Amino acid sequence: MNRYIAQAVAKLRNLVAGRESDADFDREFGTHLAFLEDEFLRRGLAPAAARRAAKLECGSLELTRQSHRDGRAFLWLTQAAQDIQHALRSMRRLKGFTVAAILTLALGVGANTAVFSVVDAVLLKPLNYPDPDRIVQFFLSSSGGTAKGASIPDLRFWQDHANSVEEISAFDFGQSEMGLTSGAPEQVHGIHVTSNYLRLFGASLVLGRGFNADEDSAQGPNVVVLSYKLWKRRFAADDQIVGRAISLDKDWYTVIGVTGEGFRTEPEAQLWIPFHFDLSSVDKLHSFGVAARLKPGITLAQANAQLDVASEAARRASKMPDPDFEFKLRKFSDAMVSYVRPSLLLLQAAVILVLLIACTNLANLLLMRMTVRKREFAIRGAMGAGRGRILRQLIVESLLLCSFGCAVGVALGLIGARALLIASPNALPHIGKPDLAFGLDRRVLVFAAGLSLLTTLFFGLLPALDVCREGFENDLREAGARQGTGARSKRAQSVVVVSEVALSLVLLIGATLLIRTFICLSRAEPGFDSHHVVLMTMPLHDGHTDTAASATSMVRNAHQELAAIPGVEGSAATFSAPYASRMGLPFTSVSSNSTVSGDGEWMAVSPGYFGVLKIPILRGRDFNSNDNEGAPAVVLINEAMARRFWAGRDPIGQQILIGKDLGPKFKDTPRQVIGIVGDTRDDDLSRAPEPTMIIPDAQEPDQMVELETQFGPMWWLIRTHLEPKKLISAVSEPLRRASGGRPVGSVRTMDDVLSDSIAKQKFNMLLLSVFALIALLLAALGVYSVMAYSVTQRTHEIGVRMALGAARNDVRNMVLHEGAVRGVAGMVCGMCAAFFLVRLLADMLYGVSMRDPAVFFAVPAFMVFLTAVAAWIPARRAARLDPVQALRFD
Amino acid sequence: MSSKEKRSAQLLQGTLDLIVLRNLETIGPQHAYQIASRLQQVSDQLLELNQGTLYPALVRLEQYGWIKGAWGKTESNREAKFYAITPAGRRALEKETTRWRRMSELVERLLLEGTQA
Repeated sequence: MNRYIAQAVAKLRNLVAGRESDADFDREFGTHLAFLEDEFLRRGLAPAAARRAAKLECGSLELTRQSHRDGRAFLWLTQAAQDIQHALRSMRRLKGFTVAAILTLALGVGANTAVFSVVDAVLLKPLNYPDPDRIVQFFLSSSGGTAKGASIPDLRFWQDHANSVEEISAFDFGQSEMGLTSGAPEQVHGIHVTSNYLRLFGASLVLGRGFNADEDSAQGPNVVVLSYKLWKRRFAADDQIVGRAISLDKDWYTVIGVTGEGFRTEPEAQLWIPFHFDLSSVDKLHSFGVAARLKPGITLAQANAQLDVASEAARRASKMPDPDFEFKLRKFSDAMVSYVRPSLLLLQAAVILVLLIACTNLANLLLMRMTVRKREFAIRGAMGAGRGRILRQLIVESLLLCSFGCAVGVALGLIGARALLIASPNALPHIGKPDLAFGLDRRVLVFAAGLSLLTTLFFGLLPALDVCREGFENDLREAGARQGTGARSKRAQSVVVVSEVALSLVLLIGATLLIRTFICLSRAEPGFDSHHVVLMTMPLHDGHTDTAASATSMVRNAHQELAAIPGVEGSAATFSAPYASRMGLPFTSVSSNSTVSGDGEWMAVSPGYFGVLKIPILRGRDFNSNDNEGAPAVVLINEAMARRFWAGRDPIGQQILIGKDLGPKFKDTPRQVIGIVGDTRDDDLSRAPEPTMIIPDAQEPDQMVELETQFGPMWWLIRTHLEPKKLISAVSEPLRRASGGRPVGSVRTMDDVLSDSIAKQKFNMLLLSVFALIALLLAALGVYSVMAYSVTQRTHEIGVRMALGAARNDVRNMVLHEGAVRGVAGMVCGMCAAFFLVRLLADMLYGVSMRDPAVFFAVPAFMVFLTAVAAWIPARRAARLDPVQALRFD
Repeated sequence: MSSKEKRSAQLLQGTLDLIVLRNLETIGPQHAYQIASRLQQVSDQLLELNQGTLYPALVRLEQYGWIKGAWGKTESNREAKFYAITPAGRRALEKETTRWRRMSELVERLLLEGTQA
């Protein structure tokens, strides 16, 4: 064995058995002494003298023992342990500094990591598909915007002509609620897909197989693929499930496969069933999404170019399925998060700002500590400590500080991340619901910790290098001469304070704008009364209620049943409830004296809808039970529609035709406008009401009823004067009875639905407020520590001033003035930066302008107040100094 | 102290190991005191060994696996730790001796050359 290896092994063993070896050495040294003593005795010394002589000869036991110990151990390890002990001692001595630095590090590292991890898990989590970057989605783009809804002719065109992609698959945008009735009935979420969908997204299967092309044809059999979770929970992970039939909405579906545990789709689903598209259809309805995979070696740009060429050729031959649009491909993952991108940009900016502030603060603290300790190092240097040794100790101290800070930061981050997840609204575009057992994002953690470490090392060592270069003598002299703060370090401190105040002001202004946005949104008049209204869903896509007559009779039955229940003031049904999706359709005026046409939102409601939501009928009349299929066709329009299309004229009595030229599915008869209803912001509170056409449900064309039942559940809206939640059990049973045994799906109060609709803004506000608060804390800490330090540094000077007759107030004002000058400078810089940076926020604001004067006045004013307080405390301390002691202060 | 230092031979790095090993090989197992007094005796008191040098050397040699310490009794019936050379120690001694000879020859030659020039 190589001797060095043998030595290392021996030293390692000593790590464990060090104490034993110490005892062994003491024994050995004892005999050594005894031999020496014998020797001296033999030479004729008296016993006592012999012992003394032996001890003298041997030298110090302690020194020998130490060299023995050093020989046994790894010397660098022992020294590192000493350095750590020393660092801990000096951290304990500078308690204020240590706490402030660790807190700064913890806030900087912890808060950033927490927020970013949540954002990452909730919004950004990369899709766990194989090669997610190769999956693309088809879009229809025109000058008016971009839509991702495709029709069957589009799908067929792409299948035939998009040669650079493969596995072109269609899928539902939203989940369909389906009644799973094998065993105890429950609602499950399913999506319709084409046969190659599971292949496109690389689904693994634990049982059975995916769909084949036959199962996807128009006459294909009813088959279903279950998700792992559903299979495990509902079917007790039965491995005989493949081939068995389960009942979904009263139809039987044969289970052909179960997906792997990790497989998730967007939208999330518990089961997948084939569309059964009739590909020869010329239906122009854009109702599903289409995705595909880029063929190997093809880039997105190439695929788009190829698609353009194919579309152009088709356009010339008049064979383009959607001549008004151009077809575009985008990355599937980008398409999914595009609408949260502004929030993400904002958060990233906030993360960087807070990190900057934290690091600035840290740098500031370290600089201050170094000036305090310059003398300590000068003395140690004078006593023979090598520069290397001093540097090493500083490195150890920095590392130690950083690890403590990061450890507290990680703890803080874990707690914070959980708190944020709990606060994060369900309405956020989760890509899979994150579970609470999730970890912190490692990349951000490493980034934040790394930056902190660099700051700590750089600013921890910078002054030390300074000391080393200039030599210790100067510092000893300087420290001894009780000088005030040097001009250079004072300038550095000013820069630190000014930038801290500026950075946190930017964040504060942003957060305040978002808070005001949220307040405006919560106060925004939705145009209807959400209080005391319960919303219940009831899926009808089982094919038994697909005509207006059958749906209407069910609704009338239920209406009567509900009216009999004590507490119910009114009820109505619609497929287009507030904040649920709604169809947009074109209309044309067919009255002889007018040529109005345009697009508007479209909905059918049962009589009583406007009463339940207390939406005012501004002119004309509401629907009544006489507006049935035999009666003349009627329509109500909202104020926005009247204003936009009949400005200054009277729309009442006009005849309009809805859905003209859209094909047989949208065939309707001309309707007479019988009234104008109040505008409602029931799609997005922050957006102006859209023109809307409302027709009575009894007059809805059958094919529209069929379409609506496929796309979403029917919504029951019930007004009560009782506590809405108390009503739920009382109404569920009558509704089930009236609808022929259909279960009620989700039940919510209108108030909840309304507040959920602004949940995203609330979350944005919450996140930015957390950041702003941390920034504020850090800035206050920074200003305070600089001012407090400055006072300590100038204690002697203050003593001299007082001795020369300065009053206490003068001293206080002097310190305050110093703080104020820096604060105001920071404020001005911050305001300038904010003035331009608010642009980032522009799209997220509502009810408050980007450069709201009130915000731009109040926030800096608050900041002034805070800096004043932060400077006031040290100023007061300075004023209370005893001149005699101040003069003696060293 | 300083005058004494000037008189006594300064040990070259690594030579103490060689001397201790050689000593143990020729005389057999010895304890630290014996080694110290023997070295002093042989070197005519020129080699002043202090315990701060000898003990770390013994530790080092034991770590290398070249010597092995074991507690035993002396003739005067006193307990002492006896160090003995191991087979690995013998091999190392041989190698180190050759190296030392070559080294001192070289130094000698260089020094001679210096005086001639």
